[in-house]
Amino acid sequence: MENALGIWGPQALMMAVTASFTILGMVMLLAAMLMKRRWKPSYAVEFVFIGVMLALAWYADLSSTKTYTAYQANLNAEERRVSGEYSGIGEAAFDQVVTVIAFQWGFAFINEDEEISRNALMVKPGETVLLKVVSNDVIHGFNIPVAQITAEIDPDDKRELWIRAPDEPGKYLIQCVNYCGVGHAQMKAWLVVSDGEEENDGENA
Amino acid sequence: MATMEMDDPKMGHKVHWEPENLLKGLTLGQILFSNDYRHIALKGMFTAFIMLALGGMFAIIFRTELALPDVQFLGARVYMTLMTLHGMVMVFGFLIPLVVSVNYYILPKIMGNDRLLWAGAAQWSYWILILAAILLVIGRPDFTWTAYAPMSLRTGNDLVWMGHVAIILVAISEFLAGAVLFRNAISGKGGLKNTPLMGWAAGTIGLLFMISVFPLAFVGYGLLSDWGQWTDVAWFDPSRGGSVQFFLYVFWTYGHPAVYLPFVPAIAIIYTIMPRFLGRPMWSYWSGVVAFVLLSAGAMPIGPHHFQPLYTVSGDYQRFIQILTMLVFIPSVLHVFNWISTLFMGPIPDSARRAIPFKFMVFSIAFIVYGGATAFLNGQIAPDSDFIHNSYWIPAHFHAMFFGFSGQMAFAGVYFLFPYFTGRMYSQKLGNWHFWLWQIGLFIKITGMGVAGYLYFPRWVYDYLDIPGWAVSQMFISIGGYMVALGFLAFLVNLFWSASKGKVVTGDPWPVVQDFKAAPAAQPAE
Repeated sequence: MENALGIWGPQALMMAVTASFTILGMVMLLAAMLMKRRWKPSYAVEFVFIGVMLALAWYADLSSTKTYTAYQANLNAEERRVSGEYSGIGEAAFDQVVTVIAFQWGFAFINEDEEISRNALMVKPGETVLLKVVSNDVIHGFNIPVAQITAEIDPDDKRELWIRAPDEPGKYLIQCVNYCGVGHAQMKAWLVVSDGEEENDGENA
Repeated sequence: MATMEMDDPKMGHKVHWEPENLLKGLTLGQILFSNDYRHIALKGMFTAFIMLALGGMFAIIFRTELALPDVQFLGARVYMTLMTLHGMVMVFGFLIPLVVSVNYYILPKIMGNDRLLWAGAAQWSYWILILAAILLVIGRPDFTWTAYAPMSLRTGNDLVWMGHVAIILVAISEFLAGAVLFRNAISGKGGLKNTPLMGWAAGTIGLLFMISVFPLAFVGYGLLSDWGQWTDVAWFDPSRGGSVQFFLYVFWTYGHPAVYLPFVPAIAIIYTIMPRFLGRPMWSYWSGVVAFVLLSAGAMPIGPHHFQPLYTVSGDYQRFIQILTMLVFIPSVLHVFNWISTLFMGPIPDSARRAIPFKFMVFSIAFIVYGGATAFLNGQIAPDSDFIHNSYWIPAHFHAMFFGFSGQMAFAGVYFLFPYFTGRMYSQKLGNWHFWLWQIGLFIKITGMGVAGYLYFPRWVYDYLDIPGWAVSQMFISIGGYMVALGFLAFLVNLFWSASKGKVVTGDPWPVVQDFKAAPAAQPAE
């Protein structure tokens, strides 16, 4: 599924790098325990190691920043207009704009027609949705596994996120991932993906 | 091969003294209030074992709840209280006191003082920590060890202020412990150039302790003040004009150094006992020194990688934190490289391969690689905003580092010291049971947590849906947890049985024997 941050591409590369580092360390440790032939490693090897890590940090920073900057191109339109650095097309770039209120303990979704839903975010397959998330009490988390996005929401702050809805109609989990009090485990909602017709049928019934 | 002898002060001397039975004839007054460093260290160690038993018991209870989806027998409030106490007891009651106690025991020997300077401060540090633990158990806070405001102000019972006071007491206790470590570290006769690596570790981490606890004390004070509404404008509570962002910055300025407090003394134990078992000095002295200094210097500024700071996550400041976080990876790699090179540059003696502390040390290096490599991924904002932030990926990372590395290294230290304070050798058989149960249990547990995290399993839940992969990974984590508990039981039995019935040790308990076949007389009987 195409998604906001993308598990394939830069992130997969970083996970591969991490796995390689782990395997390299384990192989070196095994060699140190088991190999028959032994010698004193040259000090230069350590400097080569440092060089490789500096290069990796440099590349990882570029990659992460590029990914996230691209993700944020159309976000935070209001603030960026004020600060004068805004160049995107803002809310118009999204099929739907939804305000999300995170509270102890649940989520409320308010769509463009001012309709409020407790615990269900209604979207159409494949559409892009801008989420303006606020919290009205404590620090909450906001995570949609299928959209591969996680954010932390502070009560005196607000966050904008966007997702691309899955193409398959169905119910997908939305959950809080920051501990926010005893009801934290129950702080869930559903991303409901359905075609418009099915939705109307549901309302008429 | 080596240009420097093991007895060189720079290499930490040869860490040896005569084994004697300190436990015999130990009076209650000595246990409680003696300023002899061995008594202080033993008291800290045994308290840490009790804390580990307590924190482990909490873990066993909620792991049983979590093994299956939905609610089994634990309610939300009880679960969160157990979880909060598990975190606080394990980090502040078990891990930090245990590694620091092992350091208290060895430092006076290798610094050549044969007494702990400022031992009175170490005594006070211990008792203040005990007071904090008592307050925590009575107050039963359920706001997790991070105590995020304003949640920590609006949860729990009427005694929740005890949790806030305990935070201040922990800060005072850690300040005193840091001062003791720092004082002893700078007491070397030959100046900094001849200070053994454990001294460098104690010096850098002692300094970090002393500086970084101020934000923690302020967090405790601010929470107490906001809870009691002492000021018109709150510090942290946004409903009364406080700032949550301010809380997060202050807390994590302590919170990141806090994870190094058990980490660096554990590294120091490796630098001390590795040359002892191998019979040769470390591969590089200055690489270790540089790594200690860099690690401590980087600790405080990178705290903000623990939360998602500010409104736009990809601002320049976040980028700075991201780069710095990935650079702090480097000193840890320098340490690991140094250890592996030391192991590699000569043969591993048979006596070392057989010794339980050496085995724990080698596998704790494996766990630092296993858990530490993910730090490179965790530091990046893009994957953090996907599956890393507050999913089970994070417990996987810190259980590998805290328990797989620091905890196991502390136990390597305890096994190493065992003949020195009991005058007897531990049981090899029980030691092996402890060792293998922990390695397998920890590996299963940590891997299960990583898999659960990759599947977006959220932290701090007692009740979860039966989503594919979730229940299986939770079951595996629980099984790993039970194995760790069994291993700890084996350790306890070993501790009490061997202290009175073990083989009596005279002379060097850890003689270096290259080949048991060549010297059959040196091989200990099973």
